[in-house]
Parts: sequence; C-alpha cells; structure tokens
Amino acid sequence: MAIFEWISFVAVVFILPPLVLGVLCKTKARLQNRIGASIFQPYFDLYKLFSKGETVSEVTSWIFRNAAAINFAVVIVVALLVPWLTFKPAFVGADLILVIYMFALTRFFTVLAALDAGSAFSGFGASREVTMAMLVEPAVIFCFASLACVARTSDLSVIFSCDNFSLSHNNALWLMAGLGLFLSSLVELSRMPVDDPTTHLELTMVHEAMILENSGPNLALVLFTHYLKMCILWGIAAQCFLRSISYFWTVGPLIQGALSLGALFCMGVIVAIIEGTLVKLRWTKLPQFIAFAVAMGLFCVLIAVMRG
Amino acid sequence: MKPVVKDVNILGLANTIKDWLHARTGARFGLLTSIDGKQLVTLVLDPKASAAECWISEVSDNTYKTLTTLIPQSHWFERSIYDLFGIVPDQHPRLKHILLHDEYEPTFHPLNWQEMGKVGDKTDNRKKTPILSETLSQEKFVSTGAKREYKFLQVRGEGIYELPVGPIHAGVIEPGHFRFNCFGETILNLEIRLGYTHRGVEKRLTEIHWRKASFVAEAASTDTACANALAHAIAIESLFDLEIPAVAQALRTVALEIERLAMHIIDVGGLCGDIGFSAGAAAAGCLRGKALRMGQMLTGSRFMRGFILPGGVRKFAHQHIASMQKNMQDLRKELDELFELLAENQAARERAEKIGVISKSLAEEFGVVGVTARACGISYDCRQHFPHGLYPKIAPPIALQKGGDILARTRVRIAEIRRSTDVIESVLQSITGSEHIIKLSNDLPANQTGLAVVEAFRGELIHLLFTDGKGAIKRYAIKDPSFNNWTAISIAIRNNLIADFPLCNKSLALSYSGNDL
Repeated sequence: MAIFEWISFVAVVFILPPLVLGVLCKTKARLQNRIGASIFQPYFDLYKLFSKGETVSEVTSWIFRNAAAINFAVVIVVALLVPWLTFKPAFVGADLILVIYMFALTRFFTVLAALDAGSAFSGFGASREVTMAMLVEPAVIFCFASLACVARTSDLSVIFSCDNFSLSHNNALWLMAGLGLFLSSLVELSRMPVDDPTTHLELTMVHEAMILENSGPNLALVLFTHYLKMCILWGIAAQCFLRSISYFWTVGPLIQGALSLGALFCMGVIVAIIEGTLVKLRWTKLPQFIAFAVAMGLFCVLIAVMRG
Repeated sequence: MKPVVKDVNILGLANTIKDWLHARTGARFGLLTSIDGKQLVTLVLDPKASAAECWISEVSDNTYKTLTTLIPQSHWFERSIYDLFGIVPDQHPRLKHILLHDEYEPTFHPLNWQEMGKVGDKTDNRKKTPILSETLSQEKFVSTGAKREYKFLQVRGEGIYELPVGPIHAGVIEPGHFRFNCFGETILNLEIRLGYTHRGVEKRLTEIHWRKASFVAEAASTDTACANALAHAIAIESLFDLEIPAVAQALRTVALEIERLAMHIIDVGGLCGDIGFSAGAAAAGCLRGKALRMGQMLTGSRFMRGFILPGGVRKFAHQHIASMQKNMQDLRKELDELFELLAENQAARERAEKIGVISKSLAEEFGVVGVTARACGISYDCRQHFPHGLYPKIAPPIALQKGGDILARTRVRIAEIRRSTDVIESVLQSITGSEHIIKLSNDLPANQTGLAVVEAFRGELIHLLFTDGKGAIKRYAIKDPSFNNWTAISIAIRNNLIADFPLCNKSLALSYSGNDL
C-alpha cells in the first residue's frame, strides 16, 4: 500500500501541475467567449521549451544557470513534505516554519538570478517581488500559527491529519485560514489582481519581469517549478476549505482523496473567474489587498486565542 | 482648401506667428517645414474662419533663430527640418536628430534639393540620389562632430536609475525607444526616441505620379489609411476648382467614421487589456472586427485601402447599404453593453483616474490635438471647421472632458464612438445617386499650394503640397496628429508610477509610422 501511495504521489507531482494551469486557462478563455487552447497546452509548452536551445547572457554567473534547478529541487521537497493532497507519502514531519522558509528560499534564488542577469526589468521585478513577499509573510504565518496553536503542534502533517480530531469542529478557523492562505497565494504566485500573468507589458510585471532572461530548458524548469508551487499553495488552501466542511471529516480516505483532487481544480476555476472579472490593482493599492489576507490571518489568531 | 500664400521675413518669425495667433481666437500653429531647404514654410490655421495661411520665409546660410523658445510646439518640427533639410535652428534648447539615426552620413539631408536642379521632374527623379551637401559648409550642418550621435538627457542622483525600453517591444507594435529615468517606482523623466520606421514617405510622394500617390499616402500610417487617403484627395482636389459628387462626399464621411469607430473601440479594448480586464478586452476585440467588417462591406477592404481617390471614391455597390445599417444596429447595441460593463467597474475607474494628467496650458503650448486635447478641455475638432466629406455641415458636437487624465481620454473616446455611430447611421440613410467620381485632368496646375486638414481618429491630420512650374509635386508634407502628441506622453507620465506607463501610453494611442514617415 505504501509503495502504491508513493508511486501515485510522485506521478501526481509531475503530472498534475500543468493540468491545473490548463484547466485555469481553458476556463478563462471560455469566460471570454473564446474556445481557448486545450487543457493539455501547458504540457506542450513545456515540451517545446525543453527541446529548445538556451541563450545565456555572458555577464551571468553560476547563480543564473543553477537557480532554476535549485528552486525545482526545493519545491519538490516541499511538495513531498506538505499535505496538499490528502494522500501524502509517509515522510519526515513537516514543520510549518520550515515549509514557509523553504518557499522563501526559492524566492531568494529567483531574486538572485534576476539580479545576476542584470537587465533593468529583472531589477525592478526583483524589487517588487521582495516588497510583496515582505508584506504577505505575516498573513501566512498567522494562518498557520493559529492552526498550530489549536492543534498544539507545529507539524503540518499532524495539523492536517484527518485523525486529528482536536481541529475537527473548528469550521470558522479552517475557513478563515483557507481564505487567508488563498489570498496570500495570489500574491505569492503573482496572479491577478496583484500581477497579470498574461501581460506582455514588462513595465507592469512582477514575477515575469524577473524571468525575462531565462530561455529554453531553463525557462521550462522555472515554469514547472512555478506550476508546482501553485498546486502546493492552492492545495493547502483547498485542504483548509475542505476541513471547514463537517462532511469531509466523516468520509473515508478514498473519497477524501477524490475531494482534494476536485478541490484543487476548483481553486483553478475560481482563480480563472477572479482573473476574468477583476482588474489588476494599481501598484500603490497592493498593500490594501494584502491587508485583506493579513486580516484573515488575524481572524484566525483571534479564533485560536478564544479557543485557548 | 487653398491656403493664402504669403512671404514673411524670417527675422522675428516667431513673433509674427505669435501675434497672428493672438489676434484670432482658437487660431493654431499648423506645421513648420521647408520646400527644398532654402526656406521655411509656416502653416497657421484659423479654424473659426476655416482659413489657413502658408508663410514662406527665405533662409540664408542654412540657419535661423529657433522658434521653439517662443513656440514650444515647433520643437519637433525644427528637429525634423534639421534632419531632412539640414537647416539649423540656432539656440534650439534640445537640438537632436529625430528621424535619421546614427547610421546615416552626417551630411545626409534627404529632402534638401538645393543642388539637384529641378525637382519633381518625373523622368529622372528615380535616378537622383539625394545630395550630400559637400559644397555647403559642414560645421553649420553638424553640431555634434563628424559622426551622428544621439545623447539622452541624463538624470543623476542617489537612487536614480535608467530604464531603457525598446525599440523592439514585447507586443506586436511598432518600434520606438523609451528611456526612463526613475527613482524607485516613480518616473522622473521620459525621453522618447523615434525614427525607426522612417521610410521617406514624403519624398516618395514627390517622385511618383500623383495618380499613384494615394496608395503611398495612405500607407503613411496604415491604421489611419482612410484619413490619409482623404487628406491626400482633398489636397489634390484643392488645386483644381471643382465640385466632388455628393455621393462620394457621403461615402467618404462614412469611411472616415468607420475608421474612427474601429480604432477607438480597439483603443478602449487595449486599455481594458492593460489593466488586466480581459472580459472588456475580448469584447472590444470582437466589436472592432464588426466595425472593420463594415469597412469591408463598403470598400472590399477591412482597412478601407484604395477606396478614397482624388475626385471621389472607387466604385461602390448600393445593395450593401442595407446590410451595413443592420450591422450598425447590432454593433451599437453590443457597444452599449461593453460601455455599461466598463462604467460599472469601479476598479477600472480607479486605475485611470488622476493618472497621466496633462494640464490644459501645457497641452495648448505643445499644440496637442485630437482625443488627448479634448480630454484636457481644448475644444478643437477639425470636423467642426475644415471641409472634408460632409463636414463641417453635419459635424457632431465635440466630446469634451476637463480632467486631462486617462479616464477623461477614455470618456472622450467612448463619446466619440457613440457619435460616430450616429453619423454613420444618418449618412447611410441619406445616400442616393450613383455618380461616385469625377475625372481630374492628368496635369496638376503649376505653382500652386494644396492643403487638407482632416480629423483623423487621432486628431488633426494635415497634408500640404506644392507644385512646381510644370505641375509636378515638388514638396509633399504630412503632419500626422501623433507628431504633436508624442511630447504629451513625456509630460503625462512625469511623476507617475512605472507600472502605469503602458496604460498611459495606450490612452494616448500614438502612431510611430505616422510620426516617422
């Protein structure tokens, strides 16, 4: 059984992320009355990029060449650590602080690689990314910490374990944590209304501006890492939402697994709807948006404190 | 329209212009150019009287005192004269090359015909290579040394960095280089370098026979094909004394308004796209297609190329009018839905309000035209004043706003879209008759000046031509509305956020090829 879980999980880690993005893009296209590309388009794009040559600026150092691989490795480890799908392989305990700062590590290398490339765009892209990361960090910490407070452990696999009934009747807490994590994931992943992932306008970009210099397999790796990160963050938010529904606690692991998978795609669809209807915020208005995420985090803290 | 041609002394030209403009309300400085490098040509417009004057001022020693210090609007005109004719405006505050890049010989002035003998002689014009003015004193021509060199304005200080963008951009748009000097996320100064699409349109128009010229003229800026073809036709017709058939005038009006409609719709859609409002962008893209389809019904070409010719319009099939009217009704309904969607969107409004503001006084000083000017409260629309198509008789009221920001420009655009649909519907109803073109004689009258002032969708478009003793065109000058408005974007974006530049740029919707010619 354990080996089966391992195999299926590893398969999911490599197969699922582009599919979630494909569903997102398809939904977005349908919302605009377009037919849109197939939901498998991200796979084709990745295949295309992997089979292309790579152009590397002469002024870059080893950081630029290797940042993508480092980030990929780090995010794979995070994917194995965190319970973003219910069926998670048996693994070492995942401390929430460790997970948060492993994501910070990927950001660190992305920013370094961007500065290494030396283009003016990646410079201000890095500056924007770091500014936003700084603002959104409290929201993530508040959400996780209040869950940890109630569960009396900082181990994510214990917090999210379905056998842990100390959290089973905290629907409000789970909902708030889910909302907080979801809103912060939009910032972390540079999605609308923070950043428009489909834009070609370098001057308005945040995340995209940093990876303008990447090409070929290097870019493919960056993109895949980004998709995987997307799945992990939305997966965690979806797990929180699922746990806020009492029904979820009563069903068996197989149905729970199916629900988690469905919830992940639901997140993609929800993001597509958000992106189809919302307008990108002005840069100076971003702190106000991030304040919503932080407010959700504070609600979590409030609920956790009241629970004692 | 025929301008009054006068000789005016070059000494104190700036003051003469200023006095003339002051004496008439609403009078405008039209354009500044030269015919063959021996003189300056100033065109001043009096819209109220629907009149124009063309002043010829002899230039001696290839230099004169700059007009820019008194008439800021002339700053790019003088730079382009410096490039094309080699006439040096003395004491110009920022004299740089504008159209010809570093690769050209420093002494290369493509429109300077001083030593070319007769200009406009069809047979040998093709063989002529533009003169390199070896005999003219070199130091007067080249202020920067032996090689052309372009120096950007430097901004220095702690924390200030330079951001070069272009000339190749990420979207499918024309080339142009933007040099930003930024402090954090704020733009302190923007310098625009154009000229990448300089093709020598004006010169080509003097080389080919005028019957073929309308195809070159409408390629001056292809999204403005209709307005350019119309201006060319009017400029040629103004040399003759004749009446254009009423049907042709009506169809020209319809074509011009379809162009305005289609381009304004896609500009509004572009604004939606830039703020990430994909629903609006997708809808506008689709509606623009419908507007262009009307152009296809009318002319057989979506961009209505080759339709307006000197003397009238090309053949037109009456049976299409009914389907065009039907299409127009559908389009109007769908446009209303789109505008409602936009009006309801508070976040979209927030992105546009009080951003990229151009003050009325600066807009007046730099002679800003079109939507940008009307968004600042300048009430100037050529359709009200200068004859083209059925205008000024059926000119719709001017859409005015006061804010001068992106929101005001968008509102002017939306109001103009609505008024264009009204004009198209009413003109389509009134079309009767079948005479669509009259024959013009093959030879143009000698030693004449022809002028056309047309309201293209970007604003005031001027075509000015001079014929020589044999009736050939010796100089054809085009002033695209973008030539006035490019300066406006540097003004508008100052002290705004870097991330707001694309939106601001889109709200001005400028043409690169129309500017570079």
